[in-house]
Amino acid sequence: MEAPPVTVMPVTGGTINMMEYLLQGSVLDQALESLLHRLRGLCDNMEPETFTDHELVYLLKGQQGNPFILRARRSLSHPTSPWHLRYLGQPEVGDKSRHALVRNCVDVAASHSLPEFLNEMGFRMDHEFVANGHIFRKGAMKVVVSKLSRILVPGNTENTERLSLSFLVELSVTAPAGQDTVSEDMRSFAEQLKPLVHLEKIDPSKQRH
Amino acid sequence: MSQGANENLDYMWVCVDILPQYVEESEDVGAVLRIAKKKKSKQRACTAREITMWGQHSQREEKQLEAAVESLISRVAHVKNALHSFIYKLENEYERLTWPSVLDNFALLSGQLNTINKLLKNEKTPSFRNQVIIPLLLSPDRDEDLAKLTEQRVPVFSHEIVPDYLRTKPDPEKQIQTLNKLCSNLLEKLNNPRDERDAESAAIRQNKPSFNPADTNALVGAVAFGKGLSKCRPPGPVAPGHPGQGPMMSGGPTLQQVTIGGGSSQQAGMGGPVAPQQQGQPGRRPGDLGKMPSSIKTNIKSASGSMHPYNR
Repeated sequence: MEAPPVTVMPVTGGTINMMEYLLQGSVLDQALESLLHRLRGLCDNMEPETFTDHELVYLLKGQQGNPFILRARRSLSHPTSPWHLRYLGQPEVGDKSRHALVRNCVDVAASHSLPEFLNEMGFRMDHEFVANGHIFRKGAMKVVVSKLSRILVPGNTENTERLSLSFLVELSVTAPAGQDTVSEDMRSFAEQLKPLVHLEKIDPSKQRH
Repeated sequence: MSQGANENLDYMWVCVDILPQYVEESEDVGAVLRIAKKKKSKQRACTAREITMWGQHSQREEKQLEAAVESLISRVAHVKNALHSFIYKLENEYERLTWPSVLDNFALLSGQLNTINKLLKNEKTPSFRNQVIIPLLLSPDRDEDLAKLTEQRVPVFSHEIVPDYLRTKPDPEKQIQTLNKLCSNLLEKLNNPRDERDAESAAIRQNKPSFNPADTNALVGAVAFGKGLSKCRPPGPVAPGHPGQGPMMSGGPTLQQVTIGGGSSQQAGMGGPVAPQQQGQPGRRPGDLGKMPSSIKTNIKSASGSMHPYNR
């Protein structure tokens, strides 16, 4: 199922259905430097980019049971940048041979009144964390190496505590639905990062226990 | 002889297969016809037109061949020069030589070999397999011209050097020997690990795994659904400290009664169905976060179509 390009269809509103392809892994602190070197070599040549983000996850509990989840993210290193609101759907289960986790993804930018707006809509914040690390790009692929920290006092992003001694490594591509070559490219890129990091498709529902 | 489906092609093949050298030498189409008739009397000899066409075709081929050989010679000369300077560097300047510059040299050679390969694969290059090289004159005497041409490397064009220099396929005997040597070397290395080297590399590999799968799972859980990040949880390791909250986290989607910022009173009284786990929560909320006493039961209902969200 291919989403037609926007220019061909009459614009009746809405956007192209974008899917996020995701592979995740982690790397211990002591191997971080080698991983960053390798990524700097493999990825597009640009100034190494670091980021510090504060992400809040909002839930809207419906009658059915599965709550609706929205993720609001703001940059702590660029406080005036707009907020980023993201919806991630359930992972597509169809193809076992697909190498990456595929889920529907909707990204929008939002103003700084986003948290109040979500509260008024009925969402409640479930959890929040601070992520900081490095981001690399290679073509359409984005590699994010981040350190997650727990926020001890809600709303206070200065007082944080690391979740674990590893950095989370995520390789993701946001592409229109139906492009299966993307996961092949991701897999061959992931091969190049072995044995430092094993990037694999981790099903979040299996992690609940 | 080839079995061309097209009759005309048959005649062309007749000429090309047996008689290229005769035509080049004699340029006498008549001679070709006579010889063709003699050799293959069962087939009809070519018409004169076909011979002319074939003659043009062969001229074109000749030019292509010449051009290809010229460019091949120049590329091979480049490789030779690169090798020459590299060997010189290795022999004379090895103290100052750094690994990156050695790699550069190898890269240069590899690039040049690639160009040669591309040239050979080029569709304009005629197939060299169809050409035959025959030494016309061999002599054990020193040939000055040849010596100058080859920079004193081949002074004599004699019977001894022909098998080596005009060889187009590797010598089977030598090839077998080299392959045997390579295989035995490899086998030796694989079967008899040299202790110093092996211990070193094994130690490096074992002592420094670069990732921890448990950490991966913990991080993925945190990002995906907040495992370990619950605001109700006191700071500390991921293991649930409060038994009442354990089932809340592991049981699937939950909704916590969260007081955001400080203003919890506005949420009271929305009415509607309440998630069963929320009943037990107020009493168990830890006070270490300094929250208001949890006598407020906030019932939260989603803003479905029938319910006006501002109707509190």
